Amino acid sequence: MYSEALLTGNGVTLSEALSTGGITTLVGLSIVFGVLVLLMIVLMLFKLIFYKKPKTQTAPAPAAAAKPAAAEKVEEVDETELIAVLTAAVAASLNTSTYNLKIKSYRRIDNNMPAWNKAGVTETINNRF
Amino acid sequence: MLESFANFLQNTGFYALISSGGLDAVKTIIMIAIACVLLYLAIVKKFEPLLLLPIAFGMLLSNLPMIKDSSAIMMHTEFFTDPQYMTDGKYINVGYICQHGGLLDLLYLGVKLGIYPPLIFVGIGCMTDFGPLIANPKSILLGAAAQFGVFFTFVGALVLSALVPSINFGIKEAASIGIIGGADGPTAIYVTKSLAPALLPAIAVAAYSYMALIPVIQPPIMKLMTRKKDRMIVMEQLRPVSKTEKIIFPIVVTIVVGLIIPDAVALVGCLMLGNLLKESGVADRLAKMAQNELMNIVTLFLGVTVGATATASSFLSAQTIGIIVLGLIAFCFSTVGGLLLGNIMCWLTKGKVNPLIGSAGVSAVPMAARVSQTVGQKENPSNFLLMHAMGPNVAGVIGSAVAAGVFLAMFSNL
Repeated sequence: MYSEALLTGNGVTLSEALSTGGITTLVGLSIVFGVLVLLMIVLMLFKLIFYKKPKTQTAPAPAAAAKPAAAEKVEEVDETELIAVLTAAVAASLNTSTYNLKIKSYRRIDNNMPAWNKAGVTETINNRF
Repeated sequence: MLESFANFLQNTGFYALISSGGLDAVKTIIMIAIACVLLYLAIVKKFEPLLLLPIAFGMLLSNLPMIKDSSAIMMHTEFFTDPQYMTDGKYINVGYICQHGGLLDLLYLGVKLGIYPPLIFVGIGCMTDFGPLIANPKSILLGAAAQFGVFFTFVGALVLSALVPSINFGIKEAASIGIIGGADGPTAIYVTKSLAPALLPAIAVAAYSYMALIPVIQPPIMKLMTRKKDRMIVMEQLRPVSKTEKIIFPIVVTIVVGLIIPDAVALVGCLMLGNLLKESGVADRLAKMAQNELMNIVTLFLGVTVGATATASSFLSAQTIGIIVLGLIAFCFSTVGGLLLGNIMCWLTKGKVNPLIGSAGVSAVPMAARVSQTVGQKENPSNFLLMHAMGPNVAGVIGSAVAAGVFLAMFSNL
């Protein structure tokens, strides 16, 4: 089927190279596409069989979980990023997927204790050790 | 006393180097220098060091000057290529190799008999998550489109062979060079060891070096081939994929691919075996072993022995330069193929698909997907394309294994 020149690579002519190459490319690429299209169809069937649209529960966001120390750091960061972090944290603590959650609002809880009170508390704790 | 000292001197590498005569001695020195350059690239520049370092060291080991027929020779490439040492002039003589071969000869049997690449694929399968692909089935087509470079380079190698008299690439050699564009080391090695064993070291070095250079090669092509507006597209979030789907997927793929291209089963089947070990969750110990110990051991054997096949006579030729150039072309056109289909999909879905994920169809996992992510984020900092790009990326692994199967089916029996 292939000439001696094409097998050994010795004395291949340009037209031979282009025609054999062209045919191989056509056949090869169509087989590759064929197989992968078939897999794509299988995967689409997967979606039909196994996938049920989740009920999007809009859980009221218990966003209070975020620690104040962390909140201070992310203050200037883009809000979408913070919400992504909050969703992930809530999802992890509720043991569910982020797809089932929707953070509607969040509120920072500041530590309002005056500095002297704070110092007093730490001192008392340290004394108890 | 003096005689034994003389004997010792005649056994040294210096004696072998000097006695081998002018040109051969120079070639040996050049090969050792190349090995050292590759070691530098692996250690200092960190080009795929897990592979390039063993490859370079194997090259160093097998090119040390030794006197003919010395028992210290670790690698005899002639056992695998010279018909004189083979049975019936074409099959390797395993018995002879076991008796007369050095350490690297014995380890090289794993490459020659096609054992290592599928074993590496088991490990890769364990580390691959097909979730993004299952969630977005259309992205599998990008993995097919990125095989364009493989076939384009096949034509390119034949044309080069027709135009340059000192380069003789037949169809088998052209197929082995083309598969570099699959950007998948084990696949390239698997094809080359059966179609063009003499080119193995050059092709392996080219494939792994370019894979390391993907973050340099791809971005300019990506910017050239996509519009800024399209690069900023934020894609819809992927649907969640259930465990059942992830378990059934590897089984179905193995059956489908096996029915159509039996030649690709060694690679695709092993990839899916590894994936099933992981996803099934019942064979945790095996999955951990396959992706750690097994893969590391095999990678070491593969690297050292592939490097050791790089002898001066096979490596220092115009063909090697041809392979290096064609390998780059293969990578570029695989990227182009993926991006073309990416643009078409973007246009067909009226801007729901970001064309940048097309370039991730070349199967270098996960570098190609990371490049899509980085380039996309440059245009739109809040865009996270990584998971969307992982789909085409793992599809590329299947695609290049299928392309390899096509070449093997077409040419291995000629």
